[in-house]
Amino acid sequence: MPAVDDLATLMSRTALHDRAAFERLYRATCAHLLSVAFRILNNRDRAEEVLQEAFMNVWHSASGYNPVVATPMTWLINIVRNKAIDALRSGKTERGSTVALDDEALEIAGDAALEPQRLLDDSLTKAHIDACMGELNASQRQALALAYYRGMVHTDIAEAMNAPLGTAKAWVRRGLDKLKDCLQAAGVAA
Amino acid sequence: MNYLLPERLDRLAREYVLGTLTGGARRRFERVLSQAPAAGRAVAAWQERFTVLSTSLPPMAPRNAVWQGLEQRLFAPPRKSAGWWRALGGVLAGVLLCTVVLRIQPGLIGLEPQAENLPASYVGLLTDSEGKPAVLASSRRHGRQLTIKLLQPLSVPSGRVAQLWALPRDGSAAFPVGVVTPGGSSTLALSDESEKLFSQVSRLAVSLEESPAKPGDKPTQPFVLSGHCIKLW
Repeated sequence: MPAVDDLATLMSRTALHDRAAFERLYRATCAHLLSVAFRILNNRDRAEEVLQEAFMNVWHSASGYNPVVATPMTWLINIVRNKAIDALRSGKTERGSTVALDDEALEIAGDAALEPQRLLDDSLTKAHIDACMGELNASQRQALALAYYRGMVHTDIAEAMNAPLGTAKAWVRRGLDKLKDCLQAAGVAA
Repeated sequence: MNYLLPERLDRLAREYVLGTLTGGARRRFERVLSQAPAAGRAVAAWQERFTVLSTSLPPMAPRNAVWQGLEQRLFAPPRKSAGWWRALGGVLAGVLLCTVVLRIQPGLIGLEPQAENLPASYVGLLTDSEGKPAVLASSRRHGRQLTIKLLQPLSVPSGRVAQLWALPRDGSAAFPVGVVTPGGSSTLALSDESEKLFSQVSRLAVSLEESPAKPGDKPTQPFVLSGHCIKLW
């Protein structure tokens, strides 16, 4: 991810409708943000639509961004992720009956069950909280990974993991409790 | 149900950010969120935590059409001289804002639009929650007055005042500047030279307080307008 200071400057210039800064902000963050949307939607076309919509928002509401509350990347990820989740849920019926199979989707479908878990493990390692989070069992970690990377709700998770709904909810809750504790212990986030 | 018990708030905030809070529960929490700063803080903390989980995502470059579509949607109709805006690439944002300022109200800072030398000033453009410009505030560098121009009607409920705040760059507490009178333009007397008051201020904001704030007071209500405060010189 790009340096935080640069993004903060680009954000504040974008808020003043500086087009050059807006383009640099886009160029600096789009590949990471598209990846966020793509994990959730599993379809490049739809993920790119979401990315474009998100940057429409960024242009219009960058002045509402408050650097005291969030880092620029957190603010941007949140916009993209929410839009991707909305798109996922509004297109659910359609998605159930049609499967988009471009190359990347095939690649992902190949290890659909493993990929979120791997992304989670890699992130935890990078944040040096892998040992702490290792105290969770595999199901708890998988439930958290499916919710975050795939944008799944409890019923989706229960179905994907072939578990009762109450159990899926408890796994997510436990995963979140632990995430907060581990980050706090590592001093990574508040 | 009392949503504001810290533990309950934290549990709702995290599932809200994660996306597993759905339906009526999500809408109820959004209402709480719009009213309770504590809920906003809990949400922000969880957003920051979840960002840690995104660090492992492999970058995926979007096709050029995404950026081209954005430019088309935001900046259409296409101009004859398409390279004109690109040539502005290196121009400082402050100058851009100034252009906007001067177009809106050429006389505001005492200049003709064509003039090349700007008087040293502080300018703040406050926008509403939808990003629409709402209030323009400006003051000469060593001035003791702040000129306020309303760019759209400001609705202030009876028994409330539109209190203007200055937010220092270092994140320290906001301090009161004055009360914005709803309707037209007005001038606020500043407690000191604007250079002394605003040199470390990065944002201005307005909240609807029950009474005008005194020195040392802090905002007790959410900001309804906010925007950057920049130096022009």
